[in-house]
Amino acid sequence: MTIGPLAVSDLVVEFIHDGYAIRPLDGLSFGAESGELVVLLGPSGCGKTTLLSCLGGILTPTSGSIRMGDLDVTKMKGKHLDAYRRNDIGFVFQAFNLIPSLTARENIAVPLTLTGHGRKESFARADELLEQVGLGDRGGHLPSKLSGGQMQRVAVARGLGHNPPLLLADEPTANLDHIQAEAIIRLLQSLRDDGRMIVVSTHDSRLVPIADRIVHMVPPDQHEERPTHDVSFAAGESIFEQGDNAQLIYVIKSGEVDVIRILADGGEEPLNQLGPDQYFGELGPFLGFPRSASVRAKSDVVLTAYSSRVFREKVLHKH
Amino acid sequence: MILLTFRDLVYRKTRFIVVTVLGAVVFALLFVMTGLVNQFNLEPADTVEQFGAEQWVLPEGVSAPFTSVSVMPAAALDAVDAATKSPVVITRSSVAQGDGEMPEEVVLVGFESGGLGGPQVVEGRAPQAAGEVALDRTLDIDVGTDITVAGEPFTVVGSTDATTVLAGIPFAYVGLPEAQMLAFTSTEVISSVLVSGELGPLPDGLASLSSDDVVDQTLQPLEGAIASIDLVRALLWIVAAIIVGAVVYLSALDRQRDFAVLKAVGTPNSSLLGSLALQAVLIALGAVALAAIIQIFLAPRFPLPVTVPARAFWQLPLLAVVMALAAGAIGMRKVLRSDPSQAFSGAA
Repeated sequence: MTIGPLAVSDLVVEFIHDGYAIRPLDGLSFGAESGELVVLLGPSGCGKTTLLSCLGGILTPTSGSIRMGDLDVTKMKGKHLDAYRRNDIGFVFQAFNLIPSLTARENIAVPLTLTGHGRKESFARADELLEQVGLGDRGGHLPSKLSGGQMQRVAVARGLGHNPPLLLADEPTANLDHIQAEAIIRLLQSLRDDGRMIVVSTHDSRLVPIADRIVHMVPPDQHEERPTHDVSFAAGESIFEQGDNAQLIYVIKSGEVDVIRILADGGEEPLNQLGPDQYFGELGPFLGFPRSASVRAKSDVVLTAYSSRVFREKVLHKH
Repeated sequence: MILLTFRDLVYRKTRFIVVTVLGAVVFALLFVMTGLVNQFNLEPADTVEQFGAEQWVLPEGVSAPFTSVSVMPAAALDAVDAATKSPVVITRSSVAQGDGEMPEEVVLVGFESGGLGGPQVVEGRAPQAAGEVALDRTLDIDVGTDITVAGEPFTVVGSTDATTVLAGIPFAYVGLPEAQMLAFTSTEVISSVLVSGELGPLPDGLASLSSDDVVDQTLQPLEGAIASIDLVRALLWIVAAIIVGAVVYLSALDRQRDFAVLKAVGTPNSSLLGSLALQAVLIALGAVALAAIIQIFLAPRFPLPVTVPARAFWQLPLLAVVMALAAGAIGMRKVLRSDPSQAFSGAA
């Protein structure tokens, strides 16, 4: 069942949205071994699902590589990619995505029959998996008759149908109460113990203790306690660029800055001009998002740089 | 694929039942229209065949005996060189039952007893004496009923079947002399000479038409009506295609996430397209099957005779399948274009 180590190198995914480029993944690298439970940790919008889509061969990255043992996933195309998804990957979706017209048993068996497995074999496998996820007595129920936790367990069973060496789970506990979430976490633990690699995207910290490896999709806020300091920029100099990791918040002491959005075609869209006592760059550090615009010195400027905690206490409350 | 298709049909059964019934009504109309056109085409052939003639001798310039006035001297019969020949009178007339009843238009046929052109009665007997008439059964007048033909009293002695022309104008058969008197007030005039077997050269002023020519000429006035019905049939096909296409498209929209999930797990497009195509075909065939039943009740209510040809019962389903696949193509394109990454998006 093992497929070999996973190696993600310098992965970049860039989308064009409303005329400007967004990079949910910008130079991400990490590795993992078979039998590991990898947790992709980060807030909504940080690129976890995008990464899962790339790992699953659903989305082709802009650059970088993903290797699964001997397979170079990023170079696969067409039938090879279909075969990779069919044989090596199991998916568990946040929204369960069970087919509403099929029973729990059929939801597991039908994708198998559609990908070339025999009908009898598929239904036998479905029964086996339903037992494994503790729903042996619920096989004949439609999804509408199952609880959220039961639906997610059926979704996990479906992901395991063809016994894939890599299981990708997108926010598997997001729609569940804590009792149902615990059952899913226990299930993922037991699946990892089978020697399968499991990659789980989540912002649910309950998964952290059972993870063998944690990939922080947004770098941990190591600058939180960085002391407040003044910094100077000459006219025309860049203060930060759109897409950069957001760490500091700036208050203008003297001079002026231009706030600019960089468009997909390389053009620039002016958004704002700011002067003394005004501040900028606060949303990125607060929300954990990358910078959504570039800021350049219009004249020589002197700025005071704050960590988000200090800014909240000393500046925001004062305003 | 079959399980997936059937389960979805059951899951969305209300929608599919409504669409199948709607489609069935359209297909039933198509059956009836097809039967109507078929009847128009069959009618003159059946009727002309009953005259038992191979050639029809008419005055030169007359297009056909049922569509134009044909008058020739009775003496012309002697000039026609044929072993078997019979004079006949064919004219428009009317029949009425009792006083105050609206007269109904008929084609009055005067025939010579024992000759060509006599009625092939299916009930009663052929007229043998003055004052006797045989009527086509579509007039719905019983044998033994006293009626008037062109205002003169007659008794119905027999009924004929499939003796109508021009979309249902029924025939009334009387003896030749009575028809001559009713039509021309003279026994010296006839409409045509019916010939069976070899026909020799005709004298000047006379021409002959084969039975097939007579059939074609009789059909000619109906060509406009047939073309109109064909146009309506084409429009009904379009309506049927819209109904089936719309439901397949809606189904593709509703199942977009299902298809995205199945694509994400490696299901080939062909299986997903097959599921949607099978759904379209099942709806179309279900509608045609229901239509075949509806037309049994619908056809007799039509004012004109409707004869649905046997071939329609395999041609219509076959065309319906082709139409359903074509109409469902937009929905199927939606499936082809569905993005497997959609499976990751959104909450439950």
